[in-house]
Amino acid sequence: MNNSEQGYGARLKEEVIDPGFCSVCGACVGFCPYIKTFGERVGVIHDCKVCEGVCYRVCPRSPTQYHVLRQEVFGASEHDPVFGAYKAICFARAGSEHLRSRGQYGGVVTALVTFALKQGIIDGALMTGGNFTKAIPTLVSSVSDALQCAGSKYTSSPTLGLFQEAVKEGYQKIGVVGRPCQITACRKIQKASEISGGKISLVIGLFCMGSLLPEFYSFLKENHLDRYERMDIPKDILFQGAGGDVMIPFEDVRRFIRLSCLSCYDPLSELADVSVGSTEHDPGWNTLIVRTAKGMDMVEKARFTGDIETKAYPPDLLNVLREAVFNRKKRVLECPESMYLDVPPREKDYFLTAGGDA
Amino acid sequence: MHKMGWQDVIEGRPGDRVLLNGNEAIARGALEAGVRYASSYPGSPSSEIVQTLSKVPDSELYAEWSVNEIVSLEGATAASFAGLRAICVMKADGLNVALDFLTSMNLGGCKGGLVVTVADDPQGHSSVKEYDSRYLAKAAMVPVLEPSTVEEARAMAIAAFNFSEQIKGPVILRSVTRISHSRGLVELGKSVREDKTASLPAGDRFLTKTIFHMKARDRLIKAAGIFEDCGFNYSEGPDKADTAVFCSGTSLLYAREAIETLGLNDEIKLVKVGTTFPLPEKFILSHLRGLKNAIFAEEVRSFIEEGIVLLYARNNLGKICFYGKLSGDVAGVRGPACGEMNVDIMIKALAKVYGIHYEAPGYTPEKTAELSALVPPREYAMCPGCPHRASFWAVKTAIAVDGRNSIVAGDIGCYCLGAWDTGFNLFDTLHCMGAGPGIASGLSKLGRFGLKRPTVTIVGDSTFYHAVIPGLINGQYSGSDYLCVVLDNSVTAMTGHQPHPGSGISVYGRPVNAIKIEDIVRGLGIPCKIVDPYDNFLAAETICAMVREPGIKVLIFRRECALVAARKQRRKRRVYVDQSLCRGDACGCGRFCVSVWGCPGNIWDHKTGKANIDEAVCAGCGVCASLCPAGAIVVEEVE
Ligand SMILES: Cc1cc2nc3c(=O)[nH]c(=O)nc-3n(C[C@H](O)[C@H](O)[C@H](O)COP(=O)(O)OP(=O)(O)OC[C@H]3O[C@@H](n4cnc5c(N)ncnc54)[C@H](O)[C@@H]3O)c2cc1C
Repeated sequence: MNNSEQGYGARLKEEVIDPGFCSVCGACVGFCPYIKTFGERVGVIHDCKVCEGVCYRVCPRSPTQYHVLRQEVFGASEHDPVFGAYKAICFARAGSEHLRSRGQYGGVVTALVTFALKQGIIDGALMTGGNFTKAIPTLVSSVSDALQCAGSKYTSSPTLGLFQEAVKEGYQKIGVVGRPCQITACRKIQKASEISGGKISLVIGLFCMGSLLPEFYSFLKENHLDRYERMDIPKDILFQGAGGDVMIPFEDVRRFIRLSCLSCYDPLSELADVSVGSTEHDPGWNTLIVRTAKGMDMVEKARFTGDIETKAYPPDLLNVLREAVFNRKKRVLECPESMYLDVPPREKDYFLTAGGDA
Repeated sequence: MHKMGWQDVIEGRPGDRVLLNGNEAIARGALEAGVRYASSYPGSPSSEIVQTLSKVPDSELYAEWSVNEIVSLEGATAASFAGLRAICVMKADGLNVALDFLTSMNLGGCKGGLVVTVADDPQGHSSVKEYDSRYLAKAAMVPVLEPSTVEEARAMAIAAFNFSEQIKGPVILRSVTRISHSRGLVELGKSVREDKTASLPAGDRFLTKTIFHMKARDRLIKAAGIFEDCGFNYSEGPDKADTAVFCSGTSLLYAREAIETLGLNDEIKLVKVGTTFPLPEKFILSHLRGLKNAIFAEEVRSFIEEGIVLLYARNNLGKICFYGKLSGDVAGVRGPACGEMNVDIMIKALAKVYGIHYEAPGYTPEKTAELSALVPPREYAMCPGCPHRASFWAVKTAIAVDGRNSIVAGDIGCYCLGAWDTGFNLFDTLHCMGAGPGIASGLSKLGRFGLKRPTVTIVGDSTFYHAVIPGLINGQYSGSDYLCVVLDNSVTAMTGHQPHPGSGISVYGRPVNAIKIEDIVRGLGIPCKIVDPYDNFLAAETICAMVREPGIKVLIFRRECALVAARKQRRKRRVYVDQSLCRGDACGCGRFCVSVWGCPGNIWDHKTGKANIDEAVCAGCGVCASLCPAGAIVVEEVE
């Protein structure tokens, strides 16, 4: 079919979904009847050819100019090619012991959402509940709801598919916790006034080196791993439960990593207000990157109220993180499949030829 | 008060002149002939025959909606074996299903009058094909009678029983849609046979053996003899003429009108052949002799034409020119032997033979083309609230989300519409009843040769009992991998809501134990889920999950046919569009409810530029409300 005859739905299908670049963020779902998601897959049911392609515009895997989005989020703030724009990087954890015990690591994400809800910074949040055997997109409006979503699910929850529901239900200041693709989508959604994108008012990004295909769920079942309580990927895959722990080699699940994730240039959720990851060192703590003024303001206040605690990032560990992310970005820029990516030549050079020397 | 046709059929007295449709006339004929056993698998345009006969008390007449045509014919034949008169009714396609038995039984023959009524559907008004069943009758060596009018349908039905008993074999009464579904005045006769004793004495055996082939042949020879002076073959117009139109069935009327229109009454002889197989050769030869032109008028293909041309070849008759479907001279817009006959086709053919320039009154072809362009294209449509629409949307949604471009093997029922626009062009294959699971099973074996697309088949509930079960067993046994979606609307909807084994209602409308689809499926060891397609999200989600499961699996979409539900006059739900919530053309849905969803209950208000509901039409299912992206459609329970 000739491209000019195609609607945006068809382009989304042909350029993103069919080749496997969809990360199931859920951004294109929910505002039109033609795109639906079940079982962590997204499908374009019918090429509507009518609207101005909101679905395509908000997709994190449609052509994406990171430098333009950065400009819009951070203005002229200084930008680190590896870590992105940031105001602070530190170790952090939830102030509450209870929260920490529920969180994946230090529980910072849960603590910050809880804090933002209590403070009225947001009136609702799109989060991911369920557990590692089934991720469930969840619209939360209370502290207890938020707590129910603690813990990482390593599959691809289409959480943003609930955004329109939140809008319909009247939420005005919506927070989002998401993977980097979802954070990119949030920034694109914020510009789409026809779907009330402006109602997204806080984005908390996760570090993410990739999410897993839904076939992973069958793998868990087949290998009786679904009876464990918690899953983590320190290096290999760790399943923890009352009856003891088990570790399976990462290689066993490599085949479940989404193609879209292999071409992701944004492991640290660079466009978020704050980004949260592991420390790769101490499972009781998180890495926290504070990026925007809004993020900074919230983190400062949360620290003041004791909702979170922070401590300095050990410089040697920061170098480890820098190197890992550098290599990741370099690999993605070299990968010819990363067609959606529009990175300025200078930035490309930094990774591909200068070898990290700006 | 005005009586329904079936009341006239059953209660009408001899000498009454009543308006009946062709099917009712056949039913009346059968009753007058003393029929005691009537069975059928419903199929348009034949369904009203047994529907009507089922109103007779079952002490007088046993009626049955069978699960398919072959068991139906076997049952009716059993009654014939016991000396009773029996009728078995089917549509043309059904004769294929019954054929295995028919070709066997017809060797040994039967006893009580056995009439197989087959209703063809030229133009396929309510069928996927316009089968000419006479060719099957010929293959099965069974005589064929073809009525030209509703009145004659009654008379032929009675005669067919007599012929059958005379030759000791079955007789086919071939109707077509224009007989079965048009109305005509019929003068009722009196019952000719009161006997209703079934007896099958020891030693009366009915067997099939190759050598009985000769019996079947001899029976045809006997039938031909009987047909020569049976009164159903006659001529009209001048005794001596250069040109004759040989016609059968409804084409008699078209030919008659064409001759009158062209003012050729004095020049053309009309030869009506009512017994089209075997042909009454003496009768036809008497009319062929001395002819210069022979024209043929029949529905659908060139059956009598072939027979008569062959007769000509075997006799020394001088030069006659033949004009028909074989020669290509009798042809409508679809060309010869395709599509339904009509008066225009016959006028055109006669005008051609006579070199007459004839212009049809009315618009010129150019004007017709111009006006046709103004008429919006009209697709087949499903009823408002039809659960199939919801089911199709769920399947379409699930296939899109699943992302592997599943192949959809369709099947036969109202849901044939799944092949076209109104069913979102979902089907990739569509053939006969039961074909879906067979094709799905075959496709699912081709993974080893590189076929990567998964397979889904969609079948109906009545079809399930008719022809799907063997396919499922075959699939399960052979290790197939496909999802079979059963659209269970609790009745045989397409043909007029006859009950089936799952309905829990007998042919007489009395409650019986329902044979549940899920029980059968699970009995085969096949996993089975049941979902209401109106719960469209769950429906699509369930398909998405099930297509990924290995092996063969069945998903039943259960929701009563919207027409049946409406007739029960349940409390209807009111559905309306909240005008403040509908975003009109600004929505970005592209008028989903009217342009894609396509339920007749969803309409567009061009004045306000917003969606609306035609409350007179809306069935209150509320599925559109669950799909509207703006949440603008509201469903309200009404007391
Ligand atoms: C798929 C995936 C891959 C990740 N890979 C890395 C990695 O390589 N390196 C690293 O340092 N960190 C990674 N993380 C982040 C890490 O697992 C923790 O989520 C993060 O450190 C926050 O920890 P916490 O204790 O504050 O979490 P919690 O307080 O327990 O909060 C976790 C939050 O994550 C959200 N969430 C859970 N699963 C998903 C999901 N699938 N999609 C979107 N949101 C989800 C929940 O809504 C919850 O609010 C990954 C997370 C995910 C979901």
